[in-house]
Amino acid sequence: MLALNSIREFRTRPLRTLLTLAGVAVTTAMLADMLMLGRGMTRSFGGLLESRGYELRLTPRGTLPFDTEATVPGFAALRDSVEMVAGVERVAPVLAASVIAEIGGNAAADGPERSTQALAFGMDPGDQSLYQLTAGETPGPGDILTDPEVGAALRAEPESSVRLRPARGGGAWGRRTTARISGTGRFIFASRGDLQVVMQLDDLQALSSQHDQVSFAMIRIREGYEPDSVRAAILASVDRVEIVTLAGVAERLTARLSYFRQIALILGTVSLFVATLLVGTLTAVSVSERLGLIAALRAIGLSRRRIVGGLTAESLVLCAVGGGIGVGLAVVVAVYLESILSDFPGLPLSVRFFVIRAESLITAFLLLIVSGVLAGLIPALNATRMEVAEVLHREAA
Amino acid sequence: MSGGAMDAATAVVAARDVTRDYRTGGSLVRALRGVSITVPTGDFLAVTGPSGSGKSTLLHLLGGVDTPTAGEVVFQGRNLARMSADARAALRLQDVGLVFQRFHLLPMLTALENVELPLAAARVPRAERRERAAAILERVGLADRLRHRPGELSGGQCQRVAIARALANEPVLVLADEPTGELDRATSRRLLKLFQSLNAEGTTLVVATHDLELAAGAKRSIEVVDGRTAS
Repeated sequence: MLALNSIREFRTRPLRTLLTLAGVAVTTAMLADMLMLGRGMTRSFGGLLESRGYELRLTPRGTLPFDTEATVPGFAALRDSVEMVAGVERVAPVLAASVIAEIGGNAAADGPERSTQALAFGMDPGDQSLYQLTAGETPGPGDILTDPEVGAALRAEPESSVRLRPARGGGAWGRRTTARISGTGRFIFASRGDLQVVMQLDDLQALSSQHDQVSFAMIRIREGYEPDSVRAAILASVDRVEIVTLAGVAERLTARLSYFRQIALILGTVSLFVATLLVGTLTAVSVSERLGLIAALRAIGLSRRRIVGGLTAESLVLCAVGGGIGVGLAVVVAVYLESILSDFPGLPLSVRFFVIRAESLITAFLLLIVSGVLAGLIPALNATRMEVAEVLHREAA
Repeated sequence: MSGGAMDAATAVVAARDVTRDYRTGGSLVRALRGVSITVPTGDFLAVTGPSGSGKSTLLHLLGGVDTPTAGEVVFQGRNLARMSADARAALRLQDVGLVFQRFHLLPMLTALENVELPLAAARVPRAERRERAAAILERVGLADRLRHRPGELSGGQCQRVAIARALANEPVLVLADEPTGELDRATSRRLLKLFQSLNAEGTTLVVATHDLELAAGAKRSIEVVDGRTAS
């Protein structure tokens, strides 16, 4: 009944109640968003890697895929060794090299000359592990497949011919080739503004003069085999390279994203602290305003527990209502911030900063409830420790 | 007349040579000095005296709200000083009804809910407590004000609700501290009649008051001056 009185009293102080609810809602939203930010990128990137269906990555020592321009030389022999390891189902090599694509120059045939620089991937024929075909067909020998941005920059369409040369080391007399655009695709690891094309591995190795070299390779393991044991078996038969499991990639990524995690941790802790202060202060004010009444209720014989329960219910209701609003606000803010951060350079577009998960929202909500109730508990307990007779004397004076 | 001569064994409550000291701002204030008083069952005792004489302190000691610095208070054979704070709170809930000058009603609860409060604390089932609270409010003349909140009631009506709350658990003793302090003359008279009728029905009452008319309407009265009983 004390709780009922407290809850009804909210209506008699609408401004104070609304301001407190707004404060609790904002801090809950901030806490939930920081939880989502802290875990989001790792989860999102991990999910993206897993979606490709390759459990291991083979890279030059000390690097991660797309990390550096280092390459693995003598790949053909290496591939043979890896494919002989029990549990290895498939090896998908990738060579990445910057190329310059040009089109036009013959005004009568294809208009003025246009050119653009793009990141080219050399892959096994038919391998689509880095892109999704959206039009046309996968590149055959002498073909390239482009993303829509490259097509737009060159004003080229499928079946157009483009001239290709390496962006570095080619020079005016460097190697050049002509390729047919076989189709377009969406590149899964592309970040905003990236221009990407894919062609057969042999073609790119020849164009970039990186014979028998790859940047990295993806390894699919057979069902029933553990990634760690297959990794160990590969390392026992090959050297010069690094074999990383997806968990290992995620771990390294997490280490690199510790900056975001630290910011999220600090801001999340500050949010929780502010919410605790807010609820604690409000309960303290509320208790001091009703000290005489509380003393009278103690005098009547109401137990400490009942009075503390009644006063704490006030904090609980504030936190529950404010926290509920905050959870909704957190989703809105996360969607908005995600739309801003999707332009973040160097990260794949499909990697998200904020992964909206019920788990994060519930964690934020429960953390707030617990801290809010604890904050309310302290002034409530203090109130029941007062000298009842003394307060009644003071009130009557 | 002092009740000290009465047989404490048959009394509802008896104070024996009680002293109560308070420490305020570094100095010691002796609120009561060796007061002895016995309240037998069915008594209606008025405790009078000037402000600060120790009336309220005596009431608090009799009801176990406070404990004496020296001496003892025996409530139905139990020495209150030997009971824990929680045990005294339980005793007050069941056996003592308290009425305050400023009513101390929960402002957002109705009259009915306010009277239900001590019944709920005593774990009386909801339906029964509602019925009992309504009956008590009817007894104090507020049958038509059950759903009204304190803010919608007059001072006299609020005090009646407070009295009903004090009677809710059918206590053996009702202690009222300046119950007419905030009321006008006519309302105070109606309250006196209510106390007299409650006493006639068997309720034992001790009322601390400045109100001479209220004191005159009690069965007996004592005066407290400078922490001592003067009559």
